[in-house]
Amino acid sequence: MHSVWAVATNTIKQALRVKIAAVFIILLMVLLTVMGTTMTGDGTLKGRLQTFVSYGLSLTSLLLCLLTIIISIFSLTSDIDQRQIYTVLTKPIRRYQILLGKLLGVLLLDVALLVLFSALIYNITIYLPQYIKANEMQRIEANNEFFTARVDLPPAEVDATQEVLDTYKKLQTSGQLEEMFPGMSGKEIIAQLTNQKKLQMRAAEVGRDLLWEFHNVRPADPNGRLFIKFKYDVSGVGSSDLTVYGRWFIGAWQFIRYGIASETPVYDRVHSHSIRTFHEIDAPAQVVPKDGHLAVGFLNVPANNTVVIFSEDPKVLYKADTFTANFVRAVLLILLRLIFLACLGISAATFLSFPVAILLSLMIFFIASFSSFFMESFDFLGENLSSIYRYTVRPIILLMPQFDKFNPTKFLVSGQYFSWFLLAKVTFLLICIKAILLFSLGLLIFSFREIAKIII
Amino acid sequence: MEYAVETFSLTKIFSDWWGRERVRAVDELNLKVRYNEIFGLLGPNGSGKTTTIKMLLGLLYPTKGRAVVLGGDGADPKINIRIGFLPEESYLYRYLNARETLDFYGRLFRIPAKVRKMRIEALLDMVGLKAVANRPVGTFSKGMARRIGLAQALINDPDLLILDEPTTGLDPIGTRQIKDLVLELAKRGKTVLLCSHLLADVEDVCDRIAILYGGKIQIEGQVKELLQQTHKKQITTDAISDTAVEKIKQIIQQEHAQCDISSPMDKLEAFFIKTVSSAEHQALPTNGAVSTTHISSFLAPDASAEDILDKLVSASVSAQPPVEPVTTEQVVPVETPEPTRQGEGPAVVPKGDEDLLSKLTEPAPASSDASRGGGPSQPDKTKAVVKNNEEIKTKPVESQEQAQKNILDKLTKDENTAREQTAESEAGDFGDA
Repeated sequence: MHSVWAVATNTIKQALRVKIAAVFIILLMVLLTVMGTTMTGDGTLKGRLQTFVSYGLSLTSLLLCLLTIIISIFSLTSDIDQRQIYTVLTKPIRRYQILLGKLLGVLLLDVALLVLFSALIYNITIYLPQYIKANEMQRIEANNEFFTARVDLPPAEVDATQEVLDTYKKLQTSGQLEEMFPGMSGKEIIAQLTNQKKLQMRAAEVGRDLLWEFHNVRPADPNGRLFIKFKYDVSGVGSSDLTVYGRWFIGAWQFIRYGIASETPVYDRVHSHSIRTFHEIDAPAQVVPKDGHLAVGFLNVPANNTVVIFSEDPKVLYKADTFTANFVRAVLLILLRLIFLACLGISAATFLSFPVAILLSLMIFFIASFSSFFMESFDFLGENLSSIYRYTVRPIILLMPQFDKFNPTKFLVSGQYFSWFLLAKVTFLLICIKAILLFSLGLLIFSFREIAKIII
Repeated sequence: MEYAVETFSLTKIFSDWWGRERVRAVDELNLKVRYNEIFGLLGPNGSGKTTTIKMLLGLLYPTKGRAVVLGGDGADPKINIRIGFLPEESYLYRYLNARETLDFYGRLFRIPAKVRKMRIEALLDMVGLKAVANRPVGTFSKGMARRIGLAQALINDPDLLILDEPTTGLDPIGTRQIKDLVLELAKRGKTVLLCSHLLADVEDVCDRIAILYGGKIQIEGQVKELLQQTHKKQITTDAISDTAVEKIKQIIQQEHAQCDISSPMDKLEAFFIKTVSSAEHQALPTNGAVSTTHISSFLAPDASAEDILDKLVSASVSAQPPVEPVTTEQVVPVETPEPTRQGEGPAVVPKGDEDLLSKLTEPAPASSDASRGGGPSQPDKTKAVVKNNEEIKTKPVESQEQAQKNILDKLTKDENTAREQTAESEAGDFGDA
């Protein structure tokens, strides 16, 4: 441990004195302060907070990721290129201790910088409402939708497979299948029918209602608020400033669905909202029954005189944790990325020269940052080369981390609850499997390679 | 275990990407370095010296054969802890300063902080870089970097010292100091494997040498035996009259032998050191030690007044506060270095000669002065230089005693003394830090 620590402190000294870190630190310091004071977003306090946190945290994450890649690679490749490793390796230190020392050094620096910058972002965020002297309404909005950590609960999935299969069979027997879906395989037709069915289930004709079922609704504060988030659309062209009147019911599922008496009150109100943007209605959390089995109903008021469509299912939101705790978890999520990248960089540096290792690591970083895009495009390509694709490209893509899937800013901006459980899952996938796998590979290569042989 | 370093048909072939043989750097090398000897590995550029050393230390893997270092694998930390290695160039972390550099290497050896601190100061003093200890080593000249490189190789008080071209980039005085140091280390029972193509370095210090060419040992043996011209004799006298010379000539002619009589030449190295040190003395009252950094710090007034070797191996001499409570364990072995020398000294070094400078300028007695045009009275001349020094030497007895404190003793002893010494006396020991 003593020698690991010696290497670690040396790595930190190198990063600081060679001024790689200094460039990033100064850049980030300046940018964050400027962003905090100038960014206005959509003009409201919430918009301003969202823009700042989103850009600030993304920028911090991006720059620290780049810094981590550069330092972890530079630290090892410069030792090998400039041959300081000769004098280090001939001391009583094992090779894995050198790599561990480098990793420890990079991570300590990362933790220090991450704490510094996230503290800066956090403080600017917390003091922003006072700084811009926002009015009371804006503050309430910000408190409800930004300074919170809300669970974002989708309704229970309605199983439509049987109905879809029935329709399919009916069409098949009546011979309309070929006519309606020319040149499509059975699989594709079923997929299309399922989509149609789902759309149908989210469309309310005039005077008709829709009902969604929610399980496990457990607000942290029973006297707090409960939010329904939704987006209206209408059939036909309809101008976008059209307003839809909707009567909303929120209450115990047993009562609304089956009429069984319940102790909890039922929320029942008519709201008007414009179409094609997300809106939230808030209700007291007291409407939630003890078993957490909630029903949300929507009635298309006849005055609308049009079919109302929900392009997505509405969601139930309620506060489950504080903004601060959520922020801490978001920062930890960034740290996980950094740990992965440090392992990646050090492993790459064990067998590649500086520019090549940087190129490789940056490539992986960008693929990880746009992983869903890559996955989709490869899935699309792979349809034609399915078996080759399945055994070659796909495993590699699956081994790549998915930074965009667990984007810390996405959670913070929408005030969405990011649970410890989810964090543990990411830790397991990203660190326990991918990072450790990579680092072990690096250890293996470094333990057996000839150090004095220069690799170009 | 008879040998400190032993290789068994050690072979290294560098191949290209396709696995085809490109260079046979080391070929069936059987090298044997005995304990407590100074072994010189010679050879022209590209003869496989450095490759051999790298294989000894596990930086390169042999294609065939194996190497045993101190009875084990040279890459094993248990063996590494007893090895000091100076690579062909001083590869240092440019952003660390001299003190941090040594501290870093000391920590790799897990030397306890107190001992480490003590050794670092002693080593910095020894290599004459104390004045620039807080400067990043990236700003150092090649010679200064070499000195730090040497210091890092000594920080663990190694049993085996592997020096690859130790004198490259050093000025003649630095070169001489390294040679003196190597001799002194051998006297203390260390084994030194010296690798060089500067023949003068090797000739002066090595007990045995091997000459490498094409990765193979061409010849191996005692320096004395290899170089001595047994069919010739050389007589060195003080200045004598022409008639005496004629008489000698006559005697030699009676033996039917050829003879050539001339005044001997001074060795350039000795001449250079003499010149520089006298220049230093003259400049002193006006300039002090302001003249070019490392040379002046080495030959600063205090330093040049002592024997160079003493200066070289003495621990933080002038910097130590005189009031320091020196424990007897520390001083006794140092004040009487003679027994150690007689006991352990290698054959090349003449015994009992207190005048270290002259001892070192004078090649081993009866060695090959004739071949180099060296002269009979050469030792006298160098002695005279030292006598001058001795005359100037007017140091208080107290500091003389301290000057005798020997860094190597310190290096070997400090772990014990550190345990024995009280905390406050230690604080005094490196109070200059």
